[in-house]
Amino acid sequence: MTANATFEQRRRRVGLLFVLPALLVLAVVLGYPIVDSVALALQQVSLRSGVVQQSWVGLDNFRRLFADTTFQRAALNTAYFSSAEVVLVTVISLSIAILLNHPIGRFGIFRILLIVPWAIAPVANAVLWKWILHSNYGVLNGVLKALGVIDVYHVWLGTPASALNFLLLVDVWKSVPFVALLMLAGLQRVPNSLYRAAYMDGAGPWQSFLHVTLPTIRSVIAIAVVLQTIWSLRVFDIVFVLTRGGPADATVLLNFLAYRVTFNFLDLGYGSAIANVVFVLTVILAIVYVRLLWPRERRAG
Amino acid sequence: MPISVSRRTLLHGTAAAGAFASLSRFLRNEARAADAAKLSVFAPLPPDPAPPGAAKFSEEAFARWKAANGAEVEYELLAWPQLHDRMATAFASGSAPWDIVYMSGWVPELQSNIIPYADALPKALVDDLPKSSFSTVTVDGKRYGAIFTLSLLTLFYNKALLAKAGFKSPPKDWNELKRFAKELTHDGQYGFVLNYGDPAGIGGTASYWMTYLQQAGGKMYGEDGLPVFKGDAGVDALQLMVDLMPFTDPGSISYAGINDASNVLLAGRAAMMMNWPFMWTAATDPKQSKIVGDVASAVLPAGPAGSASIDGTDAWTVTKSSKNPDKASALIEFYLDAEVQKRQVLDTGWLPIRLSVLADPEVQAKAPNAAVVLEQAKHPYDSFVTPDYTEVTVAVGTEVQKALQGQKTAAQAIADAQDQVTSIVKRRKKAPNQ
Amino acid sequence: MSFVKRRHGGPFMRGFVIAGLIVFVLWSAGPVIWLVLSSLMEQQALIAQPPQVVPSSFTLDNFIQVLSAAAALGHGIFNSALVALFSTAVALAFGAPAAYALARLPVPRANNIAFLILATQMLPGIAIAIPLFIAMSKLGLIDSVLSLGFVYLSFNLPIVIWILRGFFMAIPVGIERAAAVDGAGVSATFWHIVLPISIPPMAAAAVFAFVEAWNEFFFALILTRQNAQTVPLVIAQFAGQYQTVFGQMMAAAVISVVPVIALAIVFRNQVVRGFADGMTKG
Repeated sequence: MTANATFEQRRRRVGLLFVLPALLVLAVVLGYPIVDSVALALQQVSLRSGVVQQSWVGLDNFRRLFADTTFQRAALNTAYFSSAEVVLVTVISLSIAILLNHPIGRFGIFRILLIVPWAIAPVANAVLWKWILHSNYGVLNGVLKALGVIDVYHVWLGTPASALNFLLLVDVWKSVPFVALLMLAGLQRVPNSLYRAAYMDGAGPWQSFLHVTLPTIRSVIAIAVVLQTIWSLRVFDIVFVLTRGGPADATVLLNFLAYRVTFNFLDLGYGSAIANVVFVLTVILAIVYVRLLWPRERRAG
Repeated sequence: MPISVSRRTLLHGTAAAGAFASLSRFLRNEARAADAAKLSVFAPLPPDPAPPGAAKFSEEAFARWKAANGAEVEYELLAWPQLHDRMATAFASGSAPWDIVYMSGWVPELQSNIIPYADALPKALVDDLPKSSFSTVTVDGKRYGAIFTLSLLTLFYNKALLAKAGFKSPPKDWNELKRFAKELTHDGQYGFVLNYGDPAGIGGTASYWMTYLQQAGGKMYGEDGLPVFKGDAGVDALQLMVDLMPFTDPGSISYAGINDASNVLLAGRAAMMMNWPFMWTAATDPKQSKIVGDVASAVLPAGPAGSASIDGTDAWTVTKSSKNPDKASALIEFYLDAEVQKRQVLDTGWLPIRLSVLADPEVQAKAPNAAVVLEQAKHPYDSFVTPDYTEVTVAVGTEVQKALQGQKTAAQAIADAQDQVTSIVKRRKKAPNQ
Repeated sequence: MSFVKRRHGGPFMRGFVIAGLIVFVLWSAGPVIWLVLSSLMEQQALIAQPPQVVPSSFTLDNFIQVLSAAAALGHGIFNSALVALFSTAVALAFGAPAAYALARLPVPRANNIAFLILATQMLPGIAIAIPLFIAMSKLGLIDSVLSLGFVYLSFNLPIVIWILRGFFMAIPVGIERAAAVDGAGVSATFWHIVLPISIPPMAAAAVFAFVEAWNEFFFALILTRQNAQTVPLVIAQFAGQYQTVFGQMMAAAVISVVPVIALAIVFRNQVVRGFADGMTKG
């Protein structure tokens, strides 16, 4: 008994030793900033030549936030963008995964096609699409006009609704491939025996999809939804490169607003307040989804 | 008493001699190190105004200057739209390594990071510069920068397109501007084009509206610093822009930089625009322009209160953290040298600021639009630059964009803009360190 | 009808799938193909309406211009490589033991810690960027490649821990028991038994971390000036330029993504497996 106890103690000691360096690093690079971020949101901060001047203002920044029409606009934009992206990505990814799970889709080239957009930097992606969507020389205009779908060149990023939706398209294009790969992995884990059983019961392809596939990959879909929500709230690169928030603040997402306020106007306290709101929002959404999609007592992995 | 040269004396003597020798060598090295000053300059990428060595002009003169002054000059060049952000964060974090920084409308905002070196410029130079050129770089009576190019917005138009529509001369006032634009819009061609994509800064949407504001007799701020543009002048100015929209190239709302708009005019797809003087060079370059020979420039059409424009306020400043402020100031004097200024306009199209160079017949021959700019300079050209300029222009510019898109009436947009600017100004008054 | 036919549908279904695959290929590959094509075409051909994709418009000029004139791009690639390698190496060095401890060793509250580490990834970058910006300004650490690499650990370390923990939790317990019976201590078991069989998921984690670090833009934007500029910043700069020479812009983008795409393609199986591992087990 004593020998076992010592063995356990030793394992615990080593365990702590193994975990400590990582935890220390995370405490410095994540822990401290999170705490400081909340503190900053309660202050009026100015930074000049590396010298910080801070003064406590309590909830002033948050009061200003909720009265700010630009913030309200950004919150609406973000809500629309995020929900639309999650729906689109989930549906499109699932469709692609199903296509690739079919015998015809089993070629490796299709998987390579999926991994390439994931590997492209968001900035490079934004630059590419900026070129594709260019109002005078972009290939989208060129192709659509040649096909007769439109008769004049459109300014895709020129009107508020259009700009936001095309931003959505750009991010969906980049996000779908990886989620599709995830779903494909999930699909391939569904045991063939389940399909056989369904077949025995006389189920057709559509029925076996509904009653075998979907329930089994339910957790995969759930994870994809949660992840995609979190990622969609972090979108920054494409806004920065494609529209910088325009036209008329139509594509200002909360993340971008926080950046603009902090690094263009150097109002660090206010920017922190916005950032904290985004964080809280993300957590709430994640919890909501987890509760909805995992009604059982299982925690998100 | 005879000096006995003991071993100790010898030792001491040698040591002293050695120390003296190394000390003098050290001093000489120090002097040489001070001679080989390293200057770092933060400037826009050409074709935006860039200094010799960054843009291709006066390169031998520059090499001679560097040799004569024992200085090495390093350029950090960035696309113009990104300059302000980079500068602001660098200054804030105390990591700005530059000696000389280009500024356009940011002097009041970043004044605590730069020194008023321009007060010490030689009188001969200062006398050759227009007095008003220091207005946007002066804070609390001290001169923090030196404008190096005469850059006012003027009208650029395609003579041939206007002639085809029956117009022998450019529009003289707002009514003519609207009428001409309407007549010139047909078959994929537009009467007007401009870049409304970026609300902020000089050359952004807000600044264009400020041009019209002055033409309508209005101004941005009252004596107390609070905004006063909500009246007729402000609304009429915005209404003009809205009225022009049906005859403005639809891509305008998404053009972030002025070159996107110029490209449209130079490709012959639009007839008129407002632009800075340097456009003349691109317009007369067959590689960039399809309408060489048809481009002309004129004073901006007059509003109810006459013509007016805005100043590009392109200036050189010296940072507080510079280790060689005197050398930096000398370099700026070189940039303002008469011969360098002459090459600036002849080779890159950016007009000189020195009156003597502007009067040079060779310059006037190469840049006929210089005469137009000088004529424009007789009318008001306030850029309304304050420490909040960036934040104010984002707020105002965004409201202008909304009106241009038809989301709000001009009156509503101006009213909202005034509210936002008021709170911006009030916030600064409450926390002046911000 | 045979099982296979039932399962995968008849000819109608096949037609549907083929059509779907064609759409998929166009949608996925189209933009990428255009990226490469544009980088190889001359400006005049690109600004024609519509763009003239004919053999005579192809040229290597864009690449030559970008590589010779834009020293910034080479500098950026060098910095990106440094930052990504440093960040990945440290993430693996610290993350592998931590993942093992959280998966296998009786660390108190191991599950909570693991969940917390994962939850931090819900933070928007801006939330931690502002305090980091202030702190690093005060310490004079702005514009340093190593500082940036260290900051990147904020997402690389959790990624590595997440992926590896999932894998470690799936290792049969018997392997470690056997090692213990042979007298191996915990450390020895880890270094000599567990790690050697963890090469594939470690490769996956490494590729993941490297790609994320290489492509990261936001922190690089605010925490670097000129010396430590990474590739995404250089690309964004090219896009912000006044006179966009589209072909060069695309050429620069191509150069910047080729290393990472090559890496991703070579290791594609590991990447998917690694992520799937972490996801289903964690």
